[in-house]
Formats: sequence, C-alpha cells, structure tokens
Amino acid sequence: MQGSATTDPAGDRGVKIRISNLGKVFSLGDSTVDAITDVNLEVRTGEFICIVGPSGCGKTTLLRILAELEVPSRGEVVIARADPAAPLTSMIFQETSIFPWMTVRDNVAYGLRLRHVADDQVARTVDHFIRLAGLERFADAYPHQLSGGMKQRTSVARAFSNDPEILLMDEPFAALDEQNKALLQEELLRIWSETRKTVVFITHSIDEALVLGDRIVVMSRRPGTLKAEFKVEFPRPRRVYDLKADPAFGQLSRKIWTLLREEVVP
Amino acid sequence: MTVTAAGVVRITAERKERASLALRLVRSEIFAAIASPVLILATWELLVGVGLLDSRFFPAPSSVVIALFDLIQSGQLFVDIGWTVLRVVIGTLLGAIPGLVFGVLLGLSQIARAFVLPAINALYPIPKIAMFPLVMMIFGIGETSKWIIVAIAVFFQMFFSTLAGVVNIEKIYLDVASNFKASRWQTYRTIAVPGALPFIFTGLQLGLGMALIVVIIAENFGTQVGIGYLIWRSWQVFEVRDMYVGLVVVAALGYGFQLLLQQVQRRIIPWKAQGGT
Repeated sequence: MQGSATTDPAGDRGVKIRISNLGKVFSLGDSTVDAITDVNLEVRTGEFICIVGPSGCGKTTLLRILAELEVPSRGEVVIARADPAAPLTSMIFQETSIFPWMTVRDNVAYGLRLRHVADDQVARTVDHFIRLAGLERFADAYPHQLSGGMKQRTSVARAFSNDPEILLMDEPFAALDEQNKALLQEELLRIWSETRKTVVFITHSIDEALVLGDRIVVMSRRPGTLKAEFKVEFPRPRRVYDLKADPAFGQLSRKIWTLLREEVVP
Repeated sequence: MTVTAAGVVRITAERKERASLALRLVRSEIFAAIASPVLILATWELLVGVGLLDSRFFPAPSSVVIALFDLIQSGQLFVDIGWTVLRVVIGTLLGAIPGLVFGVLLGLSQIARAFVLPAINALYPIPKIAMFPLVMMIFGIGETSKWIIVAIAVFFQMFFSTLAGVVNIEKIYLDVASNFKASRWQTYRTIAVPGALPFIFTGLQLGLGMALIVVIIAENFGTQVGIGYLIWRSWQVFEVRDMYVGLVVVAALGYGFQLLLQQVQRRIIPWKAQGGT
C-alpha cells in the first residue's frame, strides 16, 4: 500500500482513502480462501464511516490492510496524506490490546514515545486524552486492575493521543455490556467531535453503525464485497438512547437488516 | 440458623467464640510448619543418643551446630560463602545476559530460530558438568573455568525460558507495535522483553538452581575455598560434621537466592503482583 502524498484541493471534504478493486486471498495449506474481493470505496476526509457485515465476511481483513498489517493480493488503496511526518493510522482492536506491563498512562503515551516526542508534550497530550476518556482515577493503574470498559477506554485514548490522520476501529466495543457500550459510544463521539478525524469503524451491529456513522456500508458474506451504502443524517451531537427513540432510526435499522439478512441466512 | 415453629428460616451472623491464645497458636499454620522439622531433629538427636543411628554418618544435630559455630568463629565459613556467592554471581551474569539476548532475538525471528536452534538443541542434553573437564582444559583450573561452567549452565535455562516467553507473547501486542510503527529495537524493548519478563524470571530461578549445583561440584577442583570445597575436603578427611555444615549452608544459600529473586520480581513485574495476566 502506498500513501500518495497529494494534498487535497477540495479542502477537508476531499477523498482521504480510495480503495479500488481490493482483494485478499489467504492460503491455507493447499487451498486458498478469498477473504474479500472487489472492494471499492471512497472515504472522505473527516468522515465517520461504518462498515457493517456478517461475521467472517472479511471486514477485519479490510481494516488490517488499511492498517498495513496485511498486504492486499489485488487492487490498491490510495491514501491522501496531509503530513508525511505524522502517523497515518492508529488501530483500535476488538480484543484487549493494551499492554499489561504498562500503566494506563504509559499505554496512552505509547505512540508518542515511539516517535520521541518531547516529554512535556507527551505529558500534556496524555493528560488531555486521559481526562477525555474519563480515566483520571486510573492513570497509574495496570490493566489487570481495570474493567473491560476501562481497558477499551485506554485503547481509544492510546489511538487518539497518537494523533493519526485516520482511526481504524475493529468492533472495539463488541465485548462490552449494553450499558458500557452506550456510554463508550457517546464518549467516542465526544472525543471524535473534538478532533474530527477520518474514522473507519467496523461492526456487526446495525444500531452501533447508525449511532456513530455519517455513512454505513454493508458488506456481503465471504468473500466480502460492498453491497450497499446508506447515508446517516441524524444531527450531531448524538445521544445513543435519544437516537434509538427516533422512528427514523428504527426504519433505517430495519431497511439495513432486510438487506443484511440475506447475507446472514445460510 | 434457626427454624421457628412457623417454618421461617432465619439466617443470623455466627457468633464465634475466641479460643485461648495457646490454643490458637497450636492450631496456626506457622506452628504446624515449625513443628515438623523440630520433631524430626529431636528424633534424630535422640536416636543418635541411644545409639540407634550411626553418628559417623549421621552426627547429632547438636554436634553439627557446634561445628557450625566453630567455623563461624574462625571466620572461615564467611570466606567460603563469599567465594561461592561470587562465583555464582559472576557466572550467572556471564550466562544470563547472552541467554536473554539470544532468547529475545530468536523469539522474534523465525528464520534465526530455524538457523540456530538445532545447534543449541544438540548441546542442551549434555549434562553441563560433563563439559567441565573440557572447560578446564581451555581456561585452566582457576576461577575462569568455574565462571564459565556456571555461565554455560545458566545460559541454557535463561535462553529457553526467554525464548518461550517471547514466542508466547500474544500476537496482538506485536500487531499494535507494528501499527504504531515501532522499530525492531523498539519492539524488543517495549514488547518482547517486558512481555517475556515472567518467563525470564522463571529462567533466572532455574538458572540459579543449576548454578549452585554446578559450582559445588566445580569447587572440588583447583581451589582451596568455597562451600563446595568445604564439603569435598570434609569427605577426604572424614570430618562429617563439617560436611553437614556445608550442606546446611548450601541449602540456606539456595533459599536465600530464591527469596531475593522473589523480591526483585515483585519490584520489576508489578502487573503480576495481584495475579492477572
């Protein structure tokens, strides 16, 4: 994957990520498995895009390609890079990915320290995001002392504090209980509204996609490809349960489910 | 718990009667733990006293204590302990550091593993002390050969433990490092070493155990000091009580090393302190 360093003439609403004919084939011994095939997508700068698909449809593979953790087999991804010196992507993983051997503070500081950012600036940035994520009381705790929700908050804070151009989120709240999920979704939106970064968010939950996204892309079953897309035009700032009470939310949710259903039913 | 006539079950707090101090002491675990060795030593003393146990091989514990005090008073015991500890410490450092480095390097590189591991696997089954004559041929019978043989013993424990620790690090942590664009060196420093630390400590623990075994045997050769020398010389001159003193001191040394390691471990691996991952 090559990030072409063209600056964006269209200002902050230009195309940030252009995915063309992307495919990924995994080989398992003698046989091969097509994880994703012919994925075409454009993500605009500052857009919050949600990709919804049945489990095993290759959405994580797509995200891992964007994170440069996998190399595509076909097609390409072109990313408009604003600052070649700044980090391009930070990924928030589904499972616990914060380092058990570091305190919350050191976890959040990880990306900055790797880049040798000056100590006082690291401290300022880390304090800011620890506060935003509601982690002040746990700043010096180790992950084993934290609840699942607190661990994912740390993970979110770690990704944001690194200040990447694009945030990649792989079902970060899937393992949380309903209440914590709603809470973290709202907090994510609050943190995001401060920075307005481009976000690619993967989920199997239609409701979550509707709550968070500007646009929803539905993926087919494996080999995953993009099937349809929906604009989500609920005003921001959004509150999870206010939004869910809106009849338009229910209608859109049903429309997407009707489409997704065919992909889930074997 | 009482059941009243109407069939109501009432669950109330238990009222515990406080046992007397003496009774609680006898029941306590500490007491039980101390009681068994005391009982064994007392029986031993008694059996030697009535002539049922041969004091040429099993001298009365009291006579061993007297021998211990004699060796302390002459100052010789501390000289012996000092030399043995020094040999263990130097040898352990010489073996543990390369073991750690190789373990981390090979842990993160499959190709390096494929290249180096067969050679190390071929050497591993050799009892380390069997290499001692060769080591003495190369390095002479002085201190160096003792450091080297201890280092060899420690190296293997440290290497295999570190390797296992690094290989067992969950892949997601390496993915995170890669996504954050950590360099190779940064990955070693921030992921491989801290992630493998619990295993590394196990390696150090096993390594120190091996070091003590090896040093005691090695001290039979080319030296006039050390706890091993004390034991071997006692055998030659049939001074069995001194030999027992040597055994007691070796046991105490081994125990002391483990205690020290546990303290260091608690400092260095705080995320392990209360259980957890």
